[in-house]
Amino acid sequence: MAVAVSVKTALQVAEVLEAIVSRCVGPEGRQVLCTKPTGEVLLSRDGGRLLQALHLDHPIARIIVACVSSHLKKTGDGAKTFIIFLCHLLRGLHTITEKEKDSLISENIQTFERRWKNCCQWKFISQALLTFQTQILDGIMDQYLSRHFLSVFSSSTKERTLCRSSLVLLLEAYFCGRVGRNNHKFISQLMCDYFFKCMTSENGMEVLELVDDCFVELNVSVIGLPVSDSKIIDGLVLHRDFSVYCPADGDIRVAVVREIIQPVFSTSRSEFVLNSEAQFQTSQIWIMERTKSIMKYLLSQNVKLLLSTVKQPDLVIYYARLSGISVVDCLSSEEVSLIQRIISLSPFVLPQASLQCEISDTALVKFCKPLILRSKRYAHLGLISTCTFVPHCISLCGPVQGLVEQHENALHGAFKMLRQLFKDFDLNYVKKANDQNDALRPCIYKNNRKSNQVPKIGNHSIHRSYQDTGIKNSDKLEKTQYLKAHSNLVVSDVELETYIPCLTLKMMPPDRVQTDEIWRCLPPENKRITDDYELLIESNSTRNSLTENPGIEISYENFQVTNIAGKGSMLPVKYKSLDTCISQSFCSSSIPAGCVLPVGGTFEILLHYYLLSYAERCQQLEEIVVSKLIASALLGIPKILYKPKKGSHSFPQIYLRALHTLQTSQPMISCQAGLESVTGKYHVLTSVLQCLTKILTIDLIMNIKRQPLKNCDQDSEDELQH
Amino acid sequence: MMSCLEAHKPSLCHSEPLTTEKVRAKLTVLKGVLTSCYGPFGRLKQLHNGMGGSVCTTSQSTVLLRNLSVTHPILKILTTAVQNHVSCFSDCGLFTAILCCNLIENVQKTELTAATTIKLNKHLLNFCISYLRSEICGCRIPVDFTSTQILLCLVRSILTSKPACMLTRKEVDHISALILRAFLHTIPENTGEPIILGKCIIVPLKGQRVTDSTVLPGVLIEMSVQLMRMLPARKSSALKVALFATSLSGDFSDPGEGSVVVSYGVSLENAVLDQLINIGRQLVSDRVDLVLCQKVIHPSLKQFLSNHHILAIDRVGVTLMEPLSKVTGAQPIGSLGPVSPSSYGNAKNWCSAKFGCKHFFHLIPNEATVCSLLLCNRNDTAWDELKLTCQTALHVLQLTIKDPWVLLGGGCTETHLAAYIRHMTHKEPGSILQDDGCTQAELQLIAEAFCSALESLAGSLEHDGGEILTDMKHGHFWSVQAGPPSAVNWPDLLSRCGCGVYSSQEELTWSFLRSTHHPFVPHTRLPQEALEITQQSAHSLTVDCLTAKLSGLKVAVETANLILDLAYVIEDKN
Repeated sequence: MAVAVSVKTALQVAEVLEAIVSRCVGPEGRQVLCTKPTGEVLLSRDGGRLLQALHLDHPIARIIVACVSSHLKKTGDGAKTFIIFLCHLLRGLHTITEKEKDSLISENIQTFERRWKNCCQWKFISQALLTFQTQILDGIMDQYLSRHFLSVFSSSTKERTLCRSSLVLLLEAYFCGRVGRNNHKFISQLMCDYFFKCMTSENGMEVLELVDDCFVELNVSVIGLPVSDSKIIDGLVLHRDFSVYCPADGDIRVAVVREIIQPVFSTSRSEFVLNSEAQFQTSQIWIMERTKSIMKYLLSQNVKLLLSTVKQPDLVIYYARLSGISVVDCLSSEEVSLIQRIISLSPFVLPQASLQCEISDTALVKFCKPLILRSKRYAHLGLISTCTFVPHCISLCGPVQGLVEQHENALHGAFKMLRQLFKDFDLNYVKKANDQNDALRPCIYKNNRKSNQVPKIGNHSIHRSYQDTGIKNSDKLEKTQYLKAHSNLVVSDVELETYIPCLTLKMMPPDRVQTDEIWRCLPPENKRITDDYELLIESNSTRNSLTENPGIEISYENFQVTNIAGKGSMLPVKYKSLDTCISQSFCSSSIPAGCVLPVGGTFEILLHYYLLSYAERCQQLEEIVVSKLIASALLGIPKILYKPKKGSHSFPQIYLRALHTLQTSQPMISCQAGLESVTGKYHVLTSVLQCLTKILTIDLIMNIKRQPLKNCDQDSEDELQH
Repeated sequence: MMSCLEAHKPSLCHSEPLTTEKVRAKLTVLKGVLTSCYGPFGRLKQLHNGMGGSVCTTSQSTVLLRNLSVTHPILKILTTAVQNHVSCFSDCGLFTAILCCNLIENVQKTELTAATTIKLNKHLLNFCISYLRSEICGCRIPVDFTSTQILLCLVRSILTSKPACMLTRKEVDHISALILRAFLHTIPENTGEPIILGKCIIVPLKGQRVTDSTVLPGVLIEMSVQLMRMLPARKSSALKVALFATSLSGDFSDPGEGSVVVSYGVSLENAVLDQLINIGRQLVSDRVDLVLCQKVIHPSLKQFLSNHHILAIDRVGVTLMEPLSKVTGAQPIGSLGPVSPSSYGNAKNWCSAKFGCKHFFHLIPNEATVCSLLLCNRNDTAWDELKLTCQTALHVLQLTIKDPWVLLGGGCTETHLAAYIRHMTHKEPGSILQDDGCTQAELQLIAEAFCSALESLAGSLEHDGGEILTDMKHGHFWSVQAGPPSAVNWPDLLSRCGCGVYSSQEELTWSFLRSTHHPFVPHTRLPQEALEITQQSAHSLTVDCLTAKLSGLKVAVETANLILDLAYVIEDKN
């Protein structure tokens, strides 16, 4: 059975999902209760979890869920925004196709839309979307949006110090959408305190990585107490009780073992032959003496605490008690590796022959004592850290397991988010830099490659213009190769497939690609060259329309030549203009670490505004359409966020005010306290666009009886057959 | 190749689950079951399985909720929250559950948005807690550890609130005294920091009169009659005790991962037995009097020890090991090698005792924080209920030591609190409302819902169709028998308020709890004379544990908020 995929069905599916998700989004969002087949109940506001819990059947829904989960794997945030945004995009596409007969926009666009319908329209749109995502979006982010960015780091110098108040705002906004509305303040305060307690240096990256990796080991869930009883515990709490606890003071050293201390009669794949009763007795006595002496030896090294990943036999426990050594055994390997990471201690290897050698594998601890949380006993260690992480644990309380789990997940997600926020994010966009020091090597390399392509582009554009004037002598094969090479360079893996079909589209895309290429290489700061770029664009568009070719007044010298391009001699000029660019150094632009924007749809409204203004300046028809489509879809999120608000806080009011401030280039003032990560938002946007292209490029969903075979399997089968 | 396929059935998604009639009906049924159990006059529930098996009679939330199979996820959240609370605090389970149900029910009637109600509920909760913790609180009493009165009241209140224990008044007195004595036994005499409480072991003795129950210091180990006869004569001096954690049965343990080859003619049994006898010899030479073993002692070793007048008791079990180690100061021995002298402990004496039809070996310690509570009741189910109640009482006493306050019981705290909230929302709404975008009108609505939830909780204490009144001075709880004549002299008809602090002869005015009445100022700060009366007539006081009740209040409100916040329920149907 096959299901035809259309925007309409996709929209229907997305709308259902949006209806569910939109009620949980934002500070006014509510909780969802999920039950598992095992009977457990789970509370959640996490979009990814909800989508997974629904066990959706519809093939398109499954595509969407798969996209969301791969997005979550990458960023851990933004599932709900993903769905809402996708739904609005689909809605926009749907209306475009519905209204295509109305000549609302311009004649050109109308003809375009007709063509979209006639040929494989969805493929075309999807490809346009993808081009937009990979080539235009980053530029807009860097050129326009970046001036609105705030930072969680308080100083602009190289020494980044984390600003506590901004972190509080950031976390509060994050937990607002994650946990029940009663607890978000408390949880964000807890997390903020925890983070600052764990951090020694100004830069918390190492701490974030460690906490994110070992989050399970660093928190203890206590069920049955009210949420407000959650607290931060100084030191490390192991999820096990002492097998032996001997109170000790002063100099306590700790050792870690990964094997059973007591020797056994025979190890695996060996045989122990007993010839007499006396031999048996002496060997037993030897085992005892040996265990005893190891313990004595440990004690002589001042080891008062033994941590073990395996269960130690009673004999070991007994001698440990006699020697006054506390033992915690059956620790998970994760816990032990966390301890090793904190105090950089390697496991103690049992000496084979003598016990005389000095073991260095011990470390000091401040204290070790049992900790009782809700009648369950834990071992509580005061480790002395050798890294920037100061060991602390969180005990999370809640009346039911489901709620504690929700808080755990939210906290873990918050650490993931911070981890991502504290990293620079490279944009796929190149701008000129004034100092060469910052330019990265691969970057320059990339630029070089791009510049090498310039002649080709030029060549091609000539072909292109000839083509348009009716002289169809260009070699198609050559173009295909160029296209492939180009897509390899700029666009990542998926795009290759989507690029090839565009050959059928009468060579429109290469033209645009070329324009982008030039535009991307031009520095935004430099007024003169920016002007150049706009003129170049104009010239390109004139070639596109081919109606009023030399009709524009041009003042710049190099553009004079460009104007002749219609007659076939554009190459040298282009080469020149690019050459000037290359002579200066480049660096790839990036969203710097710690970039945030105020919550409440600021990112969406800003991007909306700049996309619209881009669309106004842009002459490429499909770019206009795509920009407008995305711009209007972006507003979907603030619309939902401000839904319950009235009066001056209603969405239209906020929107108009924001537009006004942007037009008069005043600083944006957000009515809501709270910050959110720019990178996170950016990732959602790109993931949604990729998901949309995926949906649009599929035309048929086929039901098969078994799981799709992996490619490698097929290969091996083929080999067998031949 | 096995491929793991994903769950295939799509889940069911219900929106706004609380608005459906079905869910409301289920909540009402649950609430009905729970309210009918509440308090000293609560009705008992008999739990049985149609297939047979034992029958259980109870009125405790722990037993009830453990055995009820709740299917709806919302109810499941509610019941697990209550169960988790009870597992932490042992007490106030029904209080929490009923309050939570009442809150959900009342708040829904107000038809405000979930966001507002949740915010206001939280504010009201914080307000309640800060009041109950404050100095001016009119419904809490400090615990005076120099006298046992309040503690005894606390234990007695717990015992009387569990009618399924089937105790008479006299038996209640007896058991509460025993529980308090057992608890006092567990407090160490030399109070170093931190105080580590001892242990009270509850020993079952079913089918005896409740008044036969007793508390003994030390450990009781049950023995068969034959063994008792074999016990050697008692010694007058102190006993030296060896406590073995390892098995003395002569089995060969843990040969390792490889194989052990035994040559023909070599008997490992003999070899191990030799070792055991060696230990025996050492025990004899060390002048040990009593050998206790967690696991089995080999008959030969037993014989050897008894020949040397050493008393050997095996199969003690792992649960008794820690108390035994505490009682004797002995360290559990884990090897068959030479015993280090520091491992031995000592005891004052031992004796054999017979209670009912059971024989016990009674180890009398020199001084220790371990005692045995020999608990008797007529039948199994009543004994189970009584045991649970005793555990609750012991736990509550521990909590009270940490936080030495008790709250007035018998519904008085609830009505007083409701009166105080009402008064404050009228007089100083700003003290509750923390400029959160909520209006005063919304606060009034939610406060009314909150207060009536508290009041109807107090009202659930009455099961016999009586009327519930509240006085207009203290805001306490008064109950009167059904069908009072129209024109009555209230002071004659009423005797004491629910908690027993105030008597009806104190020139009070009353009004029906369920009727609408103007907010009044309840007297905060319990007057000193009231407390002094308390001291004299203490046995009539009903008090509750502060820690447990506060946590119950928090859990109830938090859970209610959680349930009110649900936009969807997604049920996995696989």
